[in-house]
Amino acid sequence: MSLKQQRIFWALFFGVIILAAFVVPFLPPLRDLTSVYGSFLFWNVFALVVIICLGIITARWRDDDGR
Amino acid sequence: MDANTIYLALFLYFIVGSIIARQARRKLGSGVNDFFLAGRALGGVVAALTYSATTYSAFMLVGLAGFTYIGGVGALGFELIYLSGLILVAFFGPRFWLVGNRYNYLTPTEMLGDRYGSRAVSIVSAVAAVIFLIPYSAVQLIGIGALLEGISGGAIPYIAGVSVAAVIAVYWTWTGGLKAVAWTDSLQAAVMLTVAVLSVIFIAYRAFDGFGGMFAQLEAQYPQWLTVPGPGFFNVNAFVGLTLPWFFFSLSNPQVSQRLFMPGSLGQMRIMVMGFLIFGFIYTLVSIIWGFSARLLLPDLEVADSATPVLLSMNIVPNIVALLVMLGISAAAISTVNSIILSLSSMVCRDVFKNISREIDEERELLIGRIFVPLFTLFILAFATLRLDLIAALSVASSAGLLVMVPALIGAFFWKRGTAAGVLSSVIVGGLTAMILQYSGWRPLDLWPGVWSGIVAVTLFIGVSLLTLPPKKKAEEFLGFLNRELNRRKVI
Repeated sequence: MSLKQQRIFWALFFGVIILAAFVVPFLPPLRDLTSVYGSFLFWNVFALVVIICLGIITARWRDDDGR
Repeated sequence: MDANTIYLALFLYFIVGSIIARQARRKLGSGVNDFFLAGRALGGVVAALTYSATTYSAFMLVGLAGFTYIGGVGALGFELIYLSGLILVAFFGPRFWLVGNRYNYLTPTEMLGDRYGSRAVSIVSAVAAVIFLIPYSAVQLIGIGALLEGISGGAIPYIAGVSVAAVIAVYWTWTGGLKAVAWTDSLQAAVMLTVAVLSVIFIAYRAFDGFGGMFAQLEAQYPQWLTVPGPGFFNVNAFVGLTLPWFFFSLSNPQVSQRLFMPGSLGQMRIMVMGFLIFGFIYTLVSIIWGFSARLLLPDLEVADSATPVLLSMNIVPNIVALLVMLGISAAAISTVNSIILSLSSMVCRDVFKNISREIDEERELLIGRIFVPLFTLFILAFATLRLDLIAALSVASSAGLLVMVPALIGAFFWKRGTAAGVLSSVIVGGLTAMILQYSGWRPLDLWPGVWSGIVAVTLFIGVSLLTLPPKKKAEEFLGFLNRELNRRKVI
């Protein structure tokens, strides 16, 4: 995948999951799930997915010495 | 808690931090970049810790815990979406860093002025940052004053707490500039996280038989607190209104975005980003659990923000840990305030004075910047002692007000057609919109000020830019350089 395609892919991917983070907990079934395995778990998983994806993206950065 | 014990703890804290700040000064160069950007050579771990300490203020263990107390799990969503705003650094961090090195930018507002070919853009953006960040800083000091007053049962007067915090912040900043701020921030970040984790473990195991027991009680006694809108505080409009402006925090707040100029390499920036994410994730969870614990243990509080001081005084947490938590909260506030003071000082000397009088040499520019460190501190202190309603309103408006910089920043890197007139109109009218809506309490269509200021800023930036002439030559040179470097360094 070219850099331009990667840019578009990640922008769309993050756009979707951020939108989901705003919307999904306000909709059924999470809206009615009064358990720690509901919205609490959902938002934690969301944050972990973001952290892992940012780990992947930043691992590709290259400095002048090739690192 | 005994006032003398608190004073002694703060004094020891000040001494340790001052030794670190003086050590940092020994390695400080003599230029403006050295003082305000640590010579653009900050290591990744220190960069991560100062980024964390600057971003996370006293709000976390006081305000966020309070949000959880009254609103439940929505507070977690709000804070984790805010943390995910670091996605923006994946896109913009290397871009800031590359152009910062190439054009020797000291401040993000200087970058905007140069990119859009207008000194007015730099000056207006810098003034907007001062208007919104001074009250925000004052609220940090107000928080420390109230905390120390509360935890000592009134034995430490409010004014004493506020003054002690201001003295610590200004002394460390004056001593060694950003290097001292970064090094002392590292100490403060370590204190913040360690004591927060320690205290929440104490609460969970001494009051609830562990975290499982705490959540089981929560599910049984306050099931609505595990959903949104749940108890009602986090309805959809409130959630979006609070969360949306903070999602852009890493770009909109200059004391944070200026840190994108500082790492020694992209590798160090990567450590900064990942380190901050891990710090933020843990600190967020701790603050939320703190709020849930308060809900279960102190169900009848009238003021949600008092959950933390009251919980600390309950003997669940040992006195020494409670003392350390108090230090941790103070550290969180001081580390935010001193970074803001330094950032605003750099903007005044570079964006305001240097743009008005181009003859200023580097020595004089640095002198002006340094003079503004105590001046801004005094100003913030004065605001904090006044405790006006306007300060609280402006502080809340800070995220909505600073959001208006974001269209211009995104446009600088992704839209050749953006113009200085577009930036000026979006920053001025957007900023005024945030202030007026916040202060009046008016919410047209039930949308929060941050949503309106964002809509106004985007519309004006695009609309006015399309009606005016862009700085074509500069835009092509700026973006041409960036595209070559981004491809070479495999940055998306």
